[in-house]
Amino acid sequence: MNWLLIIVLLPLLAAAAVGFVPGSQRLAIRGITIGASGLALLCALIAFCSFEVGTGFQFETKVVWVKSLGLHFHLAADGINIGIILMGAIVAFAAACCADDITHRVKEFHILLNLMIGGILGAFASMDLFFFYFFHELALVPTFIMIGVWGRGANRNYAMYKITLYLSLGALLALIGLIGVYVQTGAESFSIPDLIDKVREKPIDEAAQQWIFPLLMFGFGILVSLWPFHTWAPLGYGAAPTATAMLHAGVLKKFGLYGIIRVAIPMAPVGAQSWLGVLAWLALANLLYCGLVAVRQKDLNLLIGNSSVAHMGFIFLGIASLNVIGLTGAVLVMIAHGLLAALAFGLSGHLYRQTGSLDMSRMGGLLRQMPLAGSALLMALFAGCGLPGFANFAGEITIFFAAWSAGLKTVTVIAAWSALVIGGLYMMRAIRNILHGPLRGDWAKAGDVSPLIATAHGLLLVALLVFGFAPGLLTKGIEGEATKIVRLAKPAER
Amino acid sequence: MNTVAWLILLLPLFSAVAIGLGSFRSRVASAVLSVGAVFGSFLLTMLLIADGGELRSSVGWLAFEGLQVDIGLQIDALSKLMLCVVTGVGSLIHIFSLGYMKEDRDFSRYFAFLSLFIFSMLGIVLADNFVMMFIFWELVGVSSYLLIGFWFEKPSAADAAKKAFLTNRVGDFGFLLGILMVWAALGSVGFAELRNAETTAVCGLAGFLIFCGAMGKSAQAPLHVWLPDAMEGPTPVSALIHAATMVAAGVYMLCRVFFLIDGTWAMEAIAWIGGLTSLLAALMAVQQDDIKRILAYSTLSQLGYMVMAVGLGSPDAAMFHLTTHASFKALLFLGAGSVIVALHHEQDIWKMGGLRERMPKTYWTFLIGTMALCGVPLFSGFFSKEAILDAALENNLLLFLVAVFVALLTTFYMTRLFIVAFMGKPRSSHAEQAKESPAVMTVPLLVLAVPSVIAGYFNAHAPNPLVLAASLVVLVFGMLVGNSVYSGADTDPLPARFSRLAKALRDRFWFDEIYKWLIDHVQENLAKLADAFDRWVIAGLLVRGAHGTTELAGRVLRLAQTGNLQTYAFWFAAGMAALLIFTLG
Repeated sequence: MNWLLIIVLLPLLAAAAVGFVPGSQRLAIRGITIGASGLALLCALIAFCSFEVGTGFQFETKVVWVKSLGLHFHLAADGINIGIILMGAIVAFAAACCADDITHRVKEFHILLNLMIGGILGAFASMDLFFFYFFHELALVPTFIMIGVWGRGANRNYAMYKITLYLSLGALLALIGLIGVYVQTGAESFSIPDLIDKVREKPIDEAAQQWIFPLLMFGFGILVSLWPFHTWAPLGYGAAPTATAMLHAGVLKKFGLYGIIRVAIPMAPVGAQSWLGVLAWLALANLLYCGLVAVRQKDLNLLIGNSSVAHMGFIFLGIASLNVIGLTGAVLVMIAHGLLAALAFGLSGHLYRQTGSLDMSRMGGLLRQMPLAGSALLMALFAGCGLPGFANFAGEITIFFAAWSAGLKTVTVIAAWSALVIGGLYMMRAIRNILHGPLRGDWAKAGDVSPLIATAHGLLLVALLVFGFAPGLLTKGIEGEATKIVRLAKPAER
Repeated sequence: MNTVAWLILLLPLFSAVAIGLGSFRSRVASAVLSVGAVFGSFLLTMLLIADGGELRSSVGWLAFEGLQVDIGLQIDALSKLMLCVVTGVGSLIHIFSLGYMKEDRDFSRYFAFLSLFIFSMLGIVLADNFVMMFIFWELVGVSSYLLIGFWFEKPSAADAAKKAFLTNRVGDFGFLLGILMVWAALGSVGFAELRNAETTAVCGLAGFLIFCGAMGKSAQAPLHVWLPDAMEGPTPVSALIHAATMVAAGVYMLCRVFFLIDGTWAMEAIAWIGGLTSLLAALMAVQQDDIKRILAYSTLSQLGYMVMAVGLGSPDAAMFHLTTHASFKALLFLGAGSVIVALHHEQDIWKMGGLRERMPKTYWTFLIGTMALCGVPLFSGFFSKEAILDAALENNLLLFLVAVFVALLTTFYMTRLFIVAFMGKPRSSHAEQAKESPAVMTVPLLVLAVPSVIAGYFNAHAPNPLVLAASLVVLVFGMLVGNSVYSGADTDPLPARFSRLAKALRDRFWFDEIYKWLIDHVQENLAKLADAFDRWVIAGLLVRGAHGTTELAGRVLRLAQTGNLQTYAFWFAAGMAALLIFTLG
């Protein structure tokens, strides 16, 4: 079965279907969206469970689109993206469930939401550079509109401009890099596996690699809020509607990391060798500096936003280690963080709906007031400071091992301090301020989550726990692909 | 037997999950699940011990080339002893809790957390590799956090929980780095593989880093500050986690990996940190008024003894003292809990008094616990303390003197506690009306009194005459001084006589104040600096600067766009002319 095709088409069809429903039919619009993403999730789950490790591409769809340019519509799954697609489908379903805080222009919002979901899933499923990039833009543009029209707070216009400019700049740099790859390989195809075969026979000129890799690294890096190009993220997520923040912070943001792993390192391994040292130190800046910034935040969304930026440091560090353990850990954290970020923004969205404020200094005692949402938030914050049992821990400890064995010892030491102590500090303060202590005035009327949203949050938590208890479900597949990439990058160590 | 071993670990987890997902609405079901799970683990432990033999069993968790992490169980003499302590003391404390927490509205949540704790603790005990130990190490930390902050609406409890978690995290930071160093040096994280590695002793730094983990969990100076605050949790929790089991995890871990640290300079550091902790804590205990805090400082001091024993190369003595201490300190804490409930949550010993007649069972069992802790001959604590003093005398005379002085202090502060709380006349109306606790609470006291008396005989050695004489002298001297100072006293006479010293002890040598200063001035300023840099330099100057430059460029270029045809024609002609000159010239 071509599960991937179904998974990508379902949300796009839902977008079209919602277009035909009158805007007053709120229930029908919600039903179509949740139904489509639910079905997509089901298909992704089936695909994940029937995926066979170590047998190359699976669930493949390959159609020639423009023969003269070598453009193919090529969807396929391997050990790396099968897990990301499952994570994306889970987050998409949860985001669709959490989108019921939208009260005006419901129809337009849901069309954009479905487009965004389709774009996200398509980007991670595509094996052709053109569609890889196209689907990403298809998801990115709705993000900007959703923040501008349905965003919250006085700052939302500034936030929208900022996120638009940053992400467009990042995407542009990455595009130049990708064109560079295409031109330099002299391939007649945009297909990623073809390109890899090509560079395996005849690598890109080393001088060219020295400018292609940084273009891709910083271009993709900006999309992932690499320090010092990170200030868009907390601001943008603070202003975004709940579902948009969940999808962007959870899944779409990982596109840049996926691009570095999937394209930048295999295409420009020599460039990678000389630039990954820089990446390791920038990763440390993400971890330490953004962790320290997170400590100072009073607003829950800014805290989650900054901690999410800090967590990207783990993934960059895993990539910078450039060994099998590190790349595997990086993908593992990508998946874990996607689930966690979606959960955290989903919960903060619920809290925002209660009083219209996320000022932590005015919260308190919410664990008693809203046992379900409170317990979920407690677990999310614990997962965020790397508690074993959640998938994040498995990925993070893997990355520590990888970075240490790659000789990045100073970086590892400071990173461990940032993760264990600074990460613990802001998460514990958040728990203390939000959940513990006596109940405060404004919040006495606040209610717990609805069953639908509780299901969405529950699903994210279950996924985090399952992958935390059995990370092997993911790592077995990832490891094989990571080995191939490392061999491309370091042929000497074959 | 493999299944039995796995069941021991998994029964409490099952109970925690089942209470969390379903049975939290029914108090009876939660209690049955939780008590049943820990008692089941206890019975299975007995079965395992009766069966004898060692075994290992593991399932894969993460596997890479060169990094193999299993969830594996290691059953040997060491883990069996610790299993006994955890499930045995754990069972009694679960039963005691049925009475202590009867009135609490979150009764079910309490038992779910307790089960979670037992699961995590058993994970540490059974772990056969470093990473698994680290995993459960963190889980124990979080279950302790949840239980200290059990009454989370109370700000002091919530703060204490946060403090405990973060202090432990500082220790765990070292532990993690130690694990990474060991792995990098010896290529494995499994204890059995490490034991067989070419050179088993790694460098002292790795050993010391691993010890940092124990410093956090076993509350060794300077990371001891969280333990006294942790008394904000329910008293049975203090007995189980912060006296008998979790705080002993650090000592257990050191004994487990003793083969790695043996012979490195880390041993010296461990011995001294243990010795200093025992001294500092015993001094601080002398001037506390809260019954639980006195016991908490006493726990710190005894943990210092155990850590010192490991550092002196005698892990057997450490484990011996750990075992006897677990029973008599749990007994003392539960006795304190019984008193606290009878006095409607009064914890100040100066508001007690005269409990001897009113609570006879608590009185007698508390007396047994006190005698065991002070090391009265033939009680369990006597033998285990003797073993540690022996080790100290053999290896380090200075530490031996410290340890003897600590024994003196111990006898003194325990005599003070006992006389003030139980003897004399009642000093408050609550004490006046105190009644003996119900059987669900006194039976565990009676049961714990048994090992507090006899546990020493299982490992008794012929004592060194010098050690025996020294400990007898300090015992008698401590009791006499304590008795003469506090017998019949209504307030503490020491602050009047030694005001400076007493204040230093009462203020716990200002550790908390120093840390608060460090956090406020170093950590907060760093965070402020990063935040300001983010706000004003990166987001302000650079980003807005780029934005401003772009806008300025736009304005300048707009000047050229006049809309005047003549101007355009002029520039066009000028451009053509320039081009011609350039190409022709």
